[in-house]
This record gives sequence, C-alpha cells and structure tokens, in this order.
Amino acid sequence: MKKSKSDINRRQFLKNGAVAVAAIGAVGIGVNYLKYFSEKNNKSLLRPPGAVDENDFIYACIKCGLCVQICPIEAIKLAGISDGLSYGTPYIDPREQACDFSCDAMQCVETCPTAALDFLPFKKAGENALITYQKENPIPGPDYNPFVVQSLSMKATTKMGIAVLNTDTCLAVKNKGFKGSPRENEFTGIYRSPNPKRGERKASLVNDHLFNRDICDLCVTECPIGDTAIILEENITSDGQKLWKPKILDGCTGCGVCTMICPTAPSSIVIEKLEQA
Amino acid sequence: MKNIKKLEPIPAKLREDMPNSKLGITFKAWKALKPNKHKWRNIRWSVLIFMNFLFWVSFTFDIGILEGSLSGSRFIGIYLMDPFNALQEMFIGSRTGYFAMLTTNFFIGLTVILMFYFLLGGRTFCSWLCPYHFLAENAEKIHNYLVKKKRIKEHTYNIGIKYIFWVGFLLLAFLTKNLVFENINPVGIISRSIIYGPGLILLWVFALLLFEIVYAKRFWCRYVCPIGVTYSAVGKLSPMAIKFDLSKCGHCRDCQDVCLVPHELWFVKRGEATKEVHFAGPDCTRCGLCVDICYGDALSFNIRGFEKIM
Repeated sequence: MKKSKSDINRRQFLKNGAVAVAAIGAVGIGVNYLKYFSEKNNKSLLRPPGAVDENDFIYACIKCGLCVQICPIEAIKLAGISDGLSYGTPYIDPREQACDFSCDAMQCVETCPTAALDFLPFKKAGENALITYQKENPIPGPDYNPFVVQSLSMKATTKMGIAVLNTDTCLAVKNKGFKGSPRENEFTGIYRSPNPKRGERKASLVNDHLFNRDICDLCVTECPIGDTAIILEENITSDGQKLWKPKILDGCTGCGVCTMICPTAPSSIVIEKLEQA
Repeated sequence: MKNIKKLEPIPAKLREDMPNSKLGITFKAWKALKPNKHKWRNIRWSVLIFMNFLFWVSFTFDIGILEGSLSGSRFIGIYLMDPFNALQEMFIGSRTGYFAMLTTNFFIGLTVILMFYFLLGGRTFCSWLCPYHFLAENAEKIHNYLVKKKRIKEHTYNIGIKYIFWVGFLLLAFLTKNLVFENINPVGIISRSIIYGPGLILLWVFALLLFEIVYAKRFWCRYVCPIGVTYSAVGKLSPMAIKFDLSKCGHCRDCQDVCLVPHELWFVKRGEATKEVHFAGPDCTRCGLCVDICYGDALSFNIRGFEKIM
C-alpha cells in the first residue's frame, strides 16, 4: 500500500517536472528572443549617473527603485513593459526632466545597493580633488568647503552620455535670438539655475525663468557644468558675417539640462549614449 | 537527522483518549466550545497591509522610513536584500567576472534578511509580507467556493517541482546574464505597482490569479515561487515553529483545511503522527490559521527548546 503511494508520487513528480522544465525552457527562449530583438533595434535607455556597462547593468540592477526615491527632482523613472528585458530598470528622459545635479553629490549612485550605479569612481574623484586642492592651497581660502570641492569633481566625473547638436533646427546656428520662457506652458520640468537669483538655492520651474537673448545660448549659459562642457563658438566668414554654433566639449556629462531647456520643438540638442567599450 | 516521517507511527488514538471523551461530551459539543476567532489572521493581514502601505507612504510623502521595494529596500537606513535576487546576482557575477555589485550594503542587506528569517523561520515572508500572497490567499477562497459548488475541478501537482523551478531560474540567470525571474516575479511587480504606480505588466499578475482561481489552487506559491523556496531553506532549522501536541488533538483535520501548505500538517491525521510532539516543517508560513481554528489548542506558536531553558 505504502509503496504504491510513493510510486504514484514519483510518477507525478516526473510528469509535472517535465512540464516545469519545458516552461523554464520556454521562458529562456523568450528571454533570448527579447534580447536579440532589443539588440537589433539598438534601443537602449539613458541610464542614471554612474551606470555601469549596459550588459552588466541589466543584471546588477535589482529593480528596487531606491534611486527613483532619492532623486530630489524625480528625474529617474522606471521602465515599463514595452522596454522588454529592461522592465523595471531606471532611466532618465532628459527632455521631460533632466538630471541637474540638484542633490549635489550623486545621491542615486550612493544609494544603489548593488553598484549598478557604481559609486567607486566618484568616491575616488572626490578624494583626489581634496588632495589636489590641499596641495594647491596649503592654507585654505575663506570660502573653502570640502563638500563643494568634492561634489564639483564628482559632477565632472559623471558620464551618462554626450550632447549632440542638430544644426538644422538650432536657433543659434540660424542666427536667431530667443525671448520668453523656454518651454510650452504646461511643462513641469524643474532645474537649478547655475546663475541663480539672490537667495535662490532650490530647483525651480524651467518656465519660471524668462530669457532675453539676441543669439539663443540657453544650452550654454544654463549648463550645470559650465565652459568645460559646452561653449558658444563664434566664426566669422570671409564676408565679415558672424556665425554662431554651440560646441560640445569633452567635459559634457550628458546630464541633459540643455535638452530640457532648448526652446525649439523637438529639442535641437539631444543626449546620446556613449559607445560602450 | 532522521526522517521523522519514516518512523513507526504511534498507534491511533482510542475513542476514550479523545479530548471530548475526557471531558465527557460529544465531539460536536467539544468543537462548539471554541469561539470562532481570527486573531492571528487579523494581526497578519494588518502587518502585511501596513508594511506595503509604509513602502508607498515613504515614497509618496518622502519620509525615508522604508524606501525601495520588496526586491531591495532600506528600513530606517538599514539595507535589506531579497535573498533569491542576491543568489542570482552572485551566480551571474561568477560568469561575467563583474563582482562590483557585491557591495558592503549588499551583504549587510543579505545578512540582516537571512538572520531575521532564520529567527522567524520557514516561509514567514510569504504570509506576513508578500502582497501576492494576500491576493492569492483570497483567490484561494474563491477557488474553494467554486470547487464546493462543483463549478470547477481541483487540479494538483507534485509540490517537488518547485525545486526544479528554483534550479531552473538560477540556471536561466546564469545562462542569459539577466535577472530573468525578477522580470516575471509577481511579488516584485505588485510591490513596484503599489509604490511607483501600476503598469501594463499587472495583466500578467491578473492572468496568474485567474489561473489559480479557475484551475490550480495556489499554483504560483506552491509549485513555482523560488523566493519561497529560498526562505524555507533559510528558516528550516529556525527556533520558532508551530508546535503540535498529539495528546490535545481530536483529529478533526480542520486545520489542514484552512492551512495554506497542508502537506506540512501531515501529522494531524489519525494514526500518522510518529511522536507525541511535532513541529511543522520548513514550508510552514507561520500564518497562524491553524492556531486560530484548533479546537483543542493542540497547535501553537512555539520557540523550540524554550521550555528546556526555562
């Protein structure tokens, strides 16, 4: 009696187990198909600062969303089901809300429990910046703040992507100026201006800033990194006419504030992911 | 350790040894003595809803008490890490050689979780925290109702296949270099939906629930979920367990009817128990449903060896 019971059990286990193995195989095929599909379309999301190589990122990220929660300006979002295998991983859409370094020192990277956003390079950069500063200024100046020194170097270490200019639509290239608020009325993106009004320290609505420029240079003046990332290049043609063009330099971190603030629609400056080694 | 299931069973209880005979009343009257209460279920559901709500509150109102989601979080600054995710990470890392994701916080989170669930034991996570469990537990009631009304048939499988799934998901992670399981894991999906807002992927969860209602009871939790398997391995030798006292048992088996993992209460059947005292096995979720229903208080929450120390 007992023996036949365990026999039935074993037979049931083998039968159900075969179905289970088949199910796992089907999931495996599905995953590989999605992987092939996304590689073919070369569709990859712009990741938050400090993201490791996409191939490592996709498994190092456990989709907990701690980076989403810590970001003070809610720049980081979680990908939906339409992004296939990237479902639940964080990304930044700079046109909607760029990373403007409002948190000062890579909070999303620091909070990541699995180093999918790797804090190590930032830590090193911060330490090196302090050492360099102390060498250059044996007696610290009156406005010396180690936190600021560190956070500046950390910002510069960021490499989310790089800005790419579309010369066909850029206002500066067309020799046009710009007046008013940069984005459409209902736009809710915020940023912290590098040239703040007195007393203003927090991020404010993009549209609360009014500009009046003879030649549009919002991407240059509002860049949180400054003239190591982007400058307005002046060229004089043979007949004495001045030509303008924003020029992106190596210091560009791919934060996307320029993309967000660009008054043309669609944006004349976009962030592209760097080619991975 | 000897397999207590294979020991010679104690001879079945005689009629005069039944708890109702000792009191000199009928079995029915004895059962009626116990008021119908849901103490542990109410406590458990409150904890489950409160914790999942706390995740949402922490994010929405920006009060950093419980940040993150069920796959990884931070409770007042202490990192917590889902053990099955952690296991997959280590497996993939061993293939790609990228071990940077194994940070200090990662190990702190893993250690805290392992210690916590070792102390509580078994699949405590499932019935006390898992939001999918909450839905499935109620879906199970609908399923039972439909079976009772003879609208549908009961379908059961071998509970051993959960180990095949456990190995399979680890292998898949290793081979595809992806957290495959996290993509289809209803626990993480619901947790993220509660915290960050719902998405289309919830359709998958609904499909799963529908399948559980109309076809196989508790399909995901019983036969698939590797998170549960991991937790039951962690809490296997836990000091806390449901204790069964044969002398108080009337063998009505109502506890097995309400139990979420009835195979762990195998010893309540008349003539099956091999010892005077049994402890429920590692798949027990410590839900307390059996403790609530037991008419003779034969089942109770217990800390193993506690009486000896006292």
